[in-house]
Amino acid sequence: MRFQDAARDARAVVYAGIQADPLVARAATLLAGATTAERLLARAAMNGERTEPDAWRRMFPTLFGEAASGEPRGHAELVLAASLEVAGRGEASRSQFRGAIVEELTARLLAARTGADAPVRRERRVLFDGVRAEIHPYDVTLESNTRPEVYDCKWGARGINADVLNQLDDARSHAADEDVNLRAAIVVLDVRRSCELRLDRSTANHAHTRLVALESLDELRETRP
Amino acid sequence: MVPRSRSGRYARRVNERQRITERAAASYRALADLAESIEDEWQYVTDLGDAYEPSILALADANGGRPLEPEQVAAVEEAIAEIGLITDPHKAIDWLSTFPHVVALALGGDVDEPAGDGSRAPDNDSTEPDEDSPFRSLLRGDR
Repeated sequence: MRFQDAARDARAVVYAGIQADPLVARAATLLAGATTAERLLARAAMNGERTEPDAWRRMFPTLFGEAASGEPRGHAELVLAASLEVAGRGEASRSQFRGAIVEELTARLLAARTGADAPVRRERRVLFDGVRAEIHPYDVTLESNTRPEVYDCKWGARGINADVLNQLDDARSHAADEDVNLRAAIVVLDVRRSCELRLDRSTANHAHTRLVALESLDELRETRP
Repeated sequence: MVPRSRSGRYARRVNERQRITERAAASYRALADLAESIEDEWQYVTDLGDAYEPSILALADANGGRPLEPEQVAAVEEAIAEIGLITDPHKAIDWLSTFPHVVALALGGDVDEPAGDGSRAPDNDSTEPDEDSPFRSLLRGDR
C-alpha cells in the first residue's frame, strides 16, 4: 500500500484557489481552538440567511449573553466574524469554502499529534497491489508507515453517501489484505445524531468506518488507541 | 382586586417555556415541509423530523421546567426568525440538523437522544444532561 498525489483536473485547480484563501486558514485555526458551542455557531452562521452579527449574538446567549465575557467571549466573536465572512462570499462560493474549512480543520487537528514520521497530507490517493486506483482522492491522510489513516471530510451529514462509505471501507479492506491496519474515518461538521440518522439508512458497509462529528472533533488530536 | 399569586406567575413562566418550544416545533415542521421538495432526500428529511420534533417539544421540560430568562426566549425567537427566512430547500435540510441544537443550547436542554430516552429532564431538579451526553460539552464549553 502507498500514498500518491492525485492528478489535478480543472476542478481541483479551481478548488486549490479556495483552499489557499486566507479565510480558510483563519477559520480553521479558530475552529481548532473552539468549543463545541462555537462550532455549532460556525455551522449555523456560515449557512445563515442574515449576516448582521447582532442576530447571531442574540441566538447564542451562552456565548454572547450577560454571563459571557473576557477571552471566551472574544474568541466567540472571532469565530462569528470569520463565519459571517464565509457566508458573505455568496451562496455559490460558500459551500466550497465550508468544505475547504472542514478539510483544513481536520488536517490541523491531526497535525497536533503527529510528527515528521507521519505527515498529514491533502488530496492523496491510496494505491494497493493489484487493485484499480480509486477515482477520488482522500481529503486528508495521515501517512504513518505503521498506522496510516485516511479521512473524508463533509460539511453536513447529507454529504454522507454510499460512494464515500464504500471507498473508505474498500481502502480499509484492501489495506487489511496487505496486513496494514488502516484507519478510515469520515469527519462531518454536523451533529452526531443527524450523522447517525444518515448512516442508519445507508446500505454501504460502514461498520469499521469511524465517524467524527461536530461534538467529537477534538478526538482527532488524540493518539490512536 | 385579587392580588397576583406567586403560583400564577410561576405558571405563566412555565407556560412561556411550553409556548416557545411549541413555536420552535411548528417552525421546524414548516422547514421540513420546505425540505421535502428535494425528492431524493425525502427519507432523510422524514427521519430528521421524526427524530427532532419530539425532542424540541421535550425541551419544555428541560432543566426541570425551570422558568426561562428573557435572553433564552430571545435566542429561540432569533433562531425561529432565521429559519423563517429560508427559501432554498437544500439549505432547509442543513438547518433541519442545526436548528434543534441551537434551540437546545439556548434552553439549556438536550436533543441528542430520542425524546423520553434522554431529552426529558428527570423529575428531580437536575440542570445537567447525562454525563455521557455529547450535549454536555455544549453546555460546559470544552475547548
